[in-house]
Amino acid sequence: MFNGLSLDQAPPISVVLRFFLTLPVFGLILSLFMIFFPIEILTPNHPFSLAGIHLLFLGMISMGMIGALFQMQSVLGGAPIPSPLGNSIIIHTLLSAGILALAGAFILQLPELFIIAAVLLGSGIVYFAQILLPLLLGKMGHDTLKGMRFALFSLLITAILGVVMASSYANGNFENTHAAIKASHYSIGLIGWVAALIIYVAFQVVEMFYVTTPYSDWCKNNVKRILGISLLLKVIWLFTALQFPWVFDIFIALLLVGFVITTVKRLRSRKRRVSDVSIWFWMMGMGLLMISLLSYGALMVRHYEPLEAMSLIAFALFALSIILGMMGKIVPFLVWFHLNAAGYMETPIMSNIIPAKRLKMSFLLFGFTALTALLSPFFPLLLIASGLSGVVLFSLLLFNLVAAAKLYRNVLATGTRFTFEP
Amino acid sequence: MLLEFMRDDHRACDHLYTEAENALADKKVDEAKKLFGAFYRATNHHFDMEEKELFITFEKRTGMMGGPTQMMRYEHQQLRALLESMLRSLNEEKYDDFFGQGESMMIMLQQHNMKEEQMLYPMIDRALSGDAELMIQRLKDMPQ
Repeated sequence: MFNGLSLDQAPPISVVLRFFLTLPVFGLILSLFMIFFPIEILTPNHPFSLAGIHLLFLGMISMGMIGALFQMQSVLGGAPIPSPLGNSIIIHTLLSAGILALAGAFILQLPELFIIAAVLLGSGIVYFAQILLPLLLGKMGHDTLKGMRFALFSLLITAILGVVMASSYANGNFENTHAAIKASHYSIGLIGWVAALIIYVAFQVVEMFYVTTPYSDWCKNNVKRILGISLLLKVIWLFTALQFPWVFDIFIALLLVGFVITTVKRLRSRKRRVSDVSIWFWMMGMGLLMISLLSYGALMVRHYEPLEAMSLIAFALFALSIILGMMGKIVPFLVWFHLNAAGYMETPIMSNIIPAKRLKMSFLLFGFTALTALLSPFFPLLLIASGLSGVVLFSLLLFNLVAAAKLYRNVLATGTRFTFEP
Repeated sequence: MLLEFMRDDHRACDHLYTEAENALADKKVDEAKKLFGAFYRATNHHFDMEEKELFITFEKRTGMMGGPTQMMRYEHQQLRALLESMLRSLNEEKYDDFFGQGESMMIMLQQHNMKEEQMLYPMIDRALSGDAELMIQRLKDMPQ
């Protein structure tokens, strides 16, 4: 019986949706946090600020990226992640519980919670890496797979450094190397995991979705080398307390500026001219990355604390913008793909799964949330406005995702399936 | 060798589709129909080249009957069905449906092309070894 096309290769839709659905939930928690504790969140190294940062980078950005990796591995890698349903439940549960424990540990300052968070998050990430990394080892032709390997390896190192720091917080005993570990933790996490994965995904999807000229082979071959070498040298510099470790930030920043310019050029000269909200998210993401780099540059010239917060907020929003834009495309496609491949005659078209109007609304809300968050280091009460806007944004996102999942279930339950013998 | 020839054909098909989609977005319906017709014929011809010549030769040479080529045939079937739906939407002037179906078709087609370019064509190139030129000529000679 013919019952689908390459469906065997794709993970069940619930695998990816599980991670995507968690993103707006953590988004809502963070937004409420921003409404009630704006000053604390904007105070560098305040426990509430650290809780907020981890809710954002782990609960939202990493959740979205890990969900996407489950899908991408099956499409790009040819060899899907084994037992995707069971493994995704294990990883998702460990990460979700770990993120809540870590945020709770920072807020409540409970040593036991730091240990619990370290165990849960450490094991979740190590478990994920030990499943996916072997599939990405060996000789691979595809640049995005090589980028995924680099990003995953960076995530693993970030997690190990995070576990070391969590034990310091639990014991209240900070070694001399604490500052170096912390700087390495966020540098490798932000650049090696988040930025590298987005760049290598861009190499694939920008050309594929919008029909643009491909990124040059030089870019595809050298981005991970430049990022890898710069990060490695920066870590060595940090641990040996050598002077001017920020020199390596300049190389990384120049590469990211190149990425922004190249991507914007490609998107502007794309062959598909049809308006698409995901392109707006990509463009906004590129703008936010540029703001992040410029404010970091300004910070180097003149140490004015709000610039540091602005740079970090803009960087997180850059990643979030790309993730939200891609989710608006991937989720309807997955619903359509799974139903259509299973032969359901009532399979809706993509634009009826998440209507363009709701996607445009989420873009506008994201724009307002981003603008107020960006300005909040200078006008802290704006973080309350950002939090309020975030509540609406993530409620809408949650509604879109739940509605798409419900539509999928309804067709499965009531739809007519077309089958034939070949 | 064969990879380049087939990849160029993928790009040519992409180009035709984007032209059709752009024309419809600009409300140039007749031009869009003409361009989509060209895309429809070119894509089906591409699938025919693979199914009637390339895959059969590859399967004979390697003995791999139920592997990647079978997967690609399945995907061709799904893409053909999508192209039919899009043609129907265009003829029935259901342009929103056309754009919605086009979105699914493009993602599906691009993923399909990527799998061929990354995995299958290099395998076929290795299987054909010195006969790649001959195969390309046979594909060029196939009536459209």
